[in-house]
Formats: sequence, C-alpha cells, structure tokens
Amino acid sequence: MRLETRKILDRAFAGSGVLSIILMAAALVILLAPMFIRGVGAIFFTGTVEHRRLMLEKFDRGDRALVEAEIESARQAREPVYKAIADFERELAGMDRAKRAAYGKNLKDTQKALRSLLGPAPGDIRPMLMRDQYGQTRWDRAQVKLARVLYREEWDYSVPERGGILMHKPRKADFAGTSLEAVFPYLEQNIGKMILPRRTLYWQFLTDESFDSHFFGGIWPEILGTFYLTIGAMLLAIPMGLIAAIYLTEYARESRLLDLLRTCISTLAGVPSIVFGLFGLAFFINTMKVSQSKSVIAGSMTLALMVLPTIIRASEEAIRAVPKTYKEAALSLGAGRWHAVWTIILPAALPGILTGIVISMGRAAGETAPIIFTAAVSVGKPLAIWQTLTQPTPALSWNIYNLATEHEAVDEVRHVQYGLVFVLVSLVLLLNLFAIIMRARVARRMRT
Amino acid sequence: MMGPEKIESSGEKPSLLLSRADQRRHRIAAAIGQGFLLAVTSLSTLAVLFIFYFIARDAFPFFRLEGFREFFTSSRWYPSASEAEFGALAIFVGSGLVTLGAIIVAVPLGVAAAICLSDILPFSARQIVKPVIEILAAVPSVAYGFFALVVLAPLMQEKGGQILGVAVWLIGAPLAAIAVYVVADVATDRCPDRMRPCLRWCILLVLGVLSLAGLAFAGNAIGGWKINSGTNALNVSVILGIMALPTVVSVSEDALQAVGRELREGSYALGATRAETIFKTILPAARSGILAAVILGVMRAIGETMVVWMASGNAAQIPTPWYNLLQPVRTLTATIAGDMGEADHVTGSARYHVLFAMALCLLVFSFLCNLASEWIVQRSRKKLGG
Repeated sequence: MRLETRKILDRAFAGSGVLSIILMAAALVILLAPMFIRGVGAIFFTGTVEHRRLMLEKFDRGDRALVEAEIESARQAREPVYKAIADFERELAGMDRAKRAAYGKNLKDTQKALRSLLGPAPGDIRPMLMRDQYGQTRWDRAQVKLARVLYREEWDYSVPERGGILMHKPRKADFAGTSLEAVFPYLEQNIGKMILPRRTLYWQFLTDESFDSHFFGGIWPEILGTFYLTIGAMLLAIPMGLIAAIYLTEYARESRLLDLLRTCISTLAGVPSIVFGLFGLAFFINTMKVSQSKSVIAGSMTLALMVLPTIIRASEEAIRAVPKTYKEAALSLGAGRWHAVWTIILPAALPGILTGIVISMGRAAGETAPIIFTAAVSVGKPLAIWQTLTQPTPALSWNIYNLATEHEAVDEVRHVQYGLVFVLVSLVLLLNLFAIIMRARVARRMRT
Repeated sequence: MMGPEKIESSGEKPSLLLSRADQRRHRIAAAIGQGFLLAVTSLSTLAVLFIFYFIARDAFPFFRLEGFREFFTSSRWYPSASEAEFGALAIFVGSGLVTLGAIIVAVPLGVAAAICLSDILPFSARQIVKPVIEILAAVPSVAYGFFALVVLAPLMQEKGGQILGVAVWLIGAPLAAIAVYVVADVATDRCPDRMRPCLRWCILLVLGVLSLAGLAFAGNAIGGWKINSGTNALNVSVILGIMALPTVVSVSEDALQAVGRELREGSYALGATRAETIFKTILPAARSGILAAVILGVMRAIGETMVVWMASGNAAQIPTPWYNLLQPVRTLTATIAGDMGEADHVTGSARYHVLFAMALCLLVFSFLCNLASEWIVQRSRKKLGG
C-alpha cells in the first residue's frame, strides 16, 4: 500500500471515530429536544377562556370580574352558532323523512364535535364527566377540534391494495343550501372571539391534582409519589450500601468469601429491572406481607435493592481513592481502625460517595419496571406520609407509560404526557449534572 | 481533652497503656463491630440469592404443571384461552432479535467512540464528551420508550422507507469510496511503475461506477419499503442500541486504556500510522475487554423493559423471515410486564407461574453473562499484568 493511501485510511478512521461521537451527541439532542420543547408546553401554553373558567370554578384562581366578562363576551360570540343550529332544527322538522334522517345524523355529529370544542351548549343538562363540562382549554387542541367541526372524516376503500385512506370532507358541503351552511365560515373566522386564546403560564401544573383521569389539572400526585419512592429507596439503600462498602474496603481480607460477595454484588447489578419487580411482588408483598397489596414501602424496598450495587461500588471506589497516607497518619496518632474510618476516611471520601448516591437517586426516580407490580397505580390522590406504608401511589415514570399507552384518549392528554416526561427527565438530569460538577471539583482537588 | 488531672487520678499506672480488662473490652467491641459490618454486607449480597430462590420457587410450579417442551419449542402463546397454550419460542426469538439489533447498532458505534475517546481526542475534548455519555446513560428508560412510541414510531410509519434509503446512502457512500480507493491501490501494487497511475484510474472508475449503481439500486429498493407499523423490532433495536451505547463505550474505553503506552509507542516506532496501531496492536490486545463490553451491552438490552413494552408492537410471532426487523415482536420482559396485571388475580395458576419461568430464564442468562464478562476481564487483567 502506498503511504498516501495509508494516510487517507488513517484520516478516514479518525474521522469515523469523531463522527460516531457526534452521532451520539446528536442522538441525545434529538431525544431530549422534543421532551423539553413540548414539555414546557404543558406549563406555558396558549390557553382559552375555558381554561380560565376552569381555574376560576375549581380553584377560585384569577380575577373573577375579568374572567366573567370574558366568559360573557365568548358567549356572545358563540350565540349566532347556537341560534343557527336552533333555526336549522326547526327547518329540519319541515322536511320529508329521508332528508330528515340524512341531515339529522350529520347534525348530531356536528353538535357532538361542537360540544367537544366549546363545551356544553346552552340549555344542555350539566354533563356528568368533567371532560364534557368544559370546552378545549388549550389552543392547539381547540384547533384540532375545530377541524373536526369543519370537516367530516371519511375512510376511502376504493383502492383495495392501499387499504383505507382518510379523507376530510367539508361539512359545509353537507349542509349546502340550508341555513346551517353559513355557520361553518363563521366558526372558522370567529373562533378566536369564541374561545379567546391568550398566553398562559400554568405553573400550578406541578402542584395541582389531576381531574377526570388527567384530562385537566396537574401532576402533583405523581411528583409526590416519585419523591416518596426515591427517598424511601435511598433511606434504605444508603446505610446498607455504605456499611457494605466500608466492610469491603477496610475490613475484609482477600478470601474466598470476599470473592463470593463481589460476585454476588455484580450479579445483583446485572439483574434485569423487571425481575426486581417480580421479586418485590413475590417476596416483599406475597411472602413478607409488608403490605396488603401494592404500597410505596414495598416499591421503595424493591428500588433500594436495585440501586444497592451502584451505591456499594461508588462508595468503594471513593474510599479506595482516599490516599493511604491519611489512614496511616490517623492510625499512627493512635486512632482505632473504626475511629480512622469514621473521622478521616469517610469525610475525605464523602464527595465521591455523594456522587454515587446522587446518580443512583436519579436511577431510582426514573425506573419503572420494579414499581409496576409493587407500588404504582395510574390514578390516585397525593398521599400523606403515613399512608406510604399501606397505599400505592402514582409515579412520574409509571404514569408516562400509562398515559401514553393505556389511557382512554391518548391524543387528548399528550401535553400531560410531555409534561410528565419533562419533569422526570429534568429531575434526573439535574441530579446527574450535580454529580458531574461535584466529580469535576473532586478531580481538581485531587490533582492539586 | 486529656487534662493533667486525669493522668494523676489514674495513679501509678502508665496512662497510655490499657488495662487488660480494657483491652479485652476493646477486642470484643471490635469483633462485634466487624461482625455487624459483615452481617450487613452479606445481607445486601445475599439478596441476590434470595432473588434466585424466590423467582425459582414461583417458576418451578409452571414446569411441573406444563412441562418444558411446549414452553421452549412451540410458538403458540395463548395464556388466557380456555385451552391455554404457553409456547414461548416466539417471545424468546423476539428478545433475541431486538438484542441482536441493538448490538448491531451499539457495538460499531460504541467501539469507534471508545477508540476516539482513548486515542484520538485530546484530554479537554474528552472532558466534554464524558458528560454526554453519562447523560445518555442517565435518561430514564421510560423516557426512551416514550420517545420511541410518540416520536419515532409515527415517523417510521410515514417516512420509514425514505429515511432508511437515505441512511443507506449516508453509510454506504463513504464506506464504498474508501473501499474502492484501497482496492484500486492494493491491486496496482505489483504492476510496473509506468502503468500504475493509468491502471489505478481505470480500476477506480470501474469500481466507482459499479458501487454507485449498487448503492442507487439498494437505496431505491429500500426507499420504496412500506412500513406497516411504526412499533416494530427496528424501532426498538435502534433505541436499545442507543441505551446500550454508554455501557459499551465506557467498558471498552477502559479496556483500551488498560493497554499500556509501551505497545502504542512500539507500534509507532515501527512506522505504523495511528489507524494501523489501533487495528493491529491495540484492538487485539484489548479484545477480551471489548468482548466484555459487548456482553454487558447484551445484558442491558435484553433486560430492558419499558422501551420494548411500549414500542415493540407486542405481537407474539416469529417474524417472517426471522431477521425481518420491520415486523412487530414481543419480548420476555414486555410479556412479564404486560401479562402480570391480568395474571395477578389468578395467583397460583400456570398463567401466573409462566411469567416467573420467563423471569428465571432472564435471570439465569444475565447471571451467565455476568460470570462470563467477569471471567474475561480477570483473565485479561492477568495476561496484561503478567
């Protein structure tokens, strides 16, 4: 091979290495960008008058006089629509039967779509479900619903090999020649006046309970649940992990037993998280009867077991990194072994240990599989601290799964899903950032 | 503070020496303390034995009730039918398939990144890249799953074929260019100097046109694929690959770092370029460490639950042909997570125990992987040390 070729190969090789790192960073950005951008949208969005009405009626938030004036002005803007529908219904009564049936079904569909956009029509009985009591609270959802009012969805099966094709037929054409025809252009032009969109900061998203299975309200029970689970897991795992690390580094002599212990720890680190969940169910709940069924404490125990190896390893590493001279100096001054560990080695190793603890905290907060069978429910009230012993809780991680896959109207609560992901990911990233900064500081101190 | 009075009060006894009783008391206290430490340590490590015991205890009833044969050889998975069938072969294949896909994504990228980190980038750049890897590892699995389900799956369903077609070009074109260049160079190594440039250009031209045509054909064919469902094995494989990346990168970087400076310097002194040094000297020396990294990556991918549960499509079928990643699959972890909710009410039935049987398989597999990787690391450490 010529030297030139070898050089080119060398360059290409270095380039592919750098490229792989750039790809990795790009993957991270692509992953996090939608979560952050759309996640912020759960808190800061364009809200409609329905949102302000909800806030006023449920929480007594906002300026009552102002909101009531807005509701009134929205009502006035909506009035022509309802009047036209009433007119059309009278017109319908005068038609022959076939026409009446055709128009009647269409009208029902239109009214249903309109209800989900604007809330119940004047004169309706107050609906049972909260999602039917209010119109769309968010401008982006309102536009989707407006399209449902303006266009009828129809599946076209005329080309069999391509399967069904979704078509949007304007309703205006359906009602051509009737008094209802003019309603659709009116709706399209005056939707702004009807629902009064305005930039809204709904920071209470983080501190409100959810209503009507997450259609409205915030995610406080989930945040609190994750907090309990994580803190519980750390309270259990930190003492055990620290003691194990101290024993392994300072007391244990190299032996068969130590090898066995180490193998056990690394095996524990390799156990799949779902197996931890099954073990928690089989052991903590079914055998030890920690609680009747799922509970926060059972979930915390399972999570504690899961993060234990991480804590042991990080603490071990931190303790080993303390220079031997520290310990020797302490021992030569007459300190006992335990005394030296407690007053000299642990304080010196503390930043490293803390880094490990913070990282495993992030892991415990984000992990879902271990709590599926041991602690998580999809809807619940925020728990008081003593209830954690007996009651299951919603949690950020579990509810992301639940709302994204098992919720009855996945598309309608998309913003809540993004909000949950945003909160969870920022929580975990903040913890990790803290750990990274702390580690950098320790490294700098060690170097000087 | 040891005041002077204290010394006086202890009479004629030398103050620094402990009395025999004190000594004994100290020794007993130390023994008790150490015993306590050992007890707590073994408690936390014995947990793993507990896990094995309790998973196995609930798994064996299944094998007693239904036997081994159907579970491992049939792919008919109808646990809730009145004539329940528990053929988990398709589920094993699904787990294997997404793990394989993840490894195909993670290993080349991860090893290339590790080489770059240990041998190419300067120290300051490394300090920036390390946190990226850490954050990639820290993002919760459910967030990855959410991304796969909500962002990636619709994208694949709508534009999957086109994206794959572009990817073929992006990956294929540079590789083909380098390969053609090298082949042309090597092929003309032996011919007389006079003809060499001319011959080389001819070969370059012919091979270049051929490979361009090949790429265009492949890109078009793949670009025309229609992906029926965005939640499929490919989606999950890509995401699992990204999730396994941090493990692969950090473990193989450790392995590369463990190869001493002397080997590198020796190779450079013999006139090798950096690429040649890495390929011919460092990678062979670090081979076992990289194998360990691959094994750990496999463990990470096969044990992952949320991503596969959310985005793999959960269809208990073997894809046709078996390597078709564009079809939905179902994995062991997703089956455990998804079926336990229903099976929990019928504790004690085969339907409940079969999930523990799956968990036992996972557990045994990851245990074996762990032992293997540890053994490999230990052996290579001995070899490098000695």
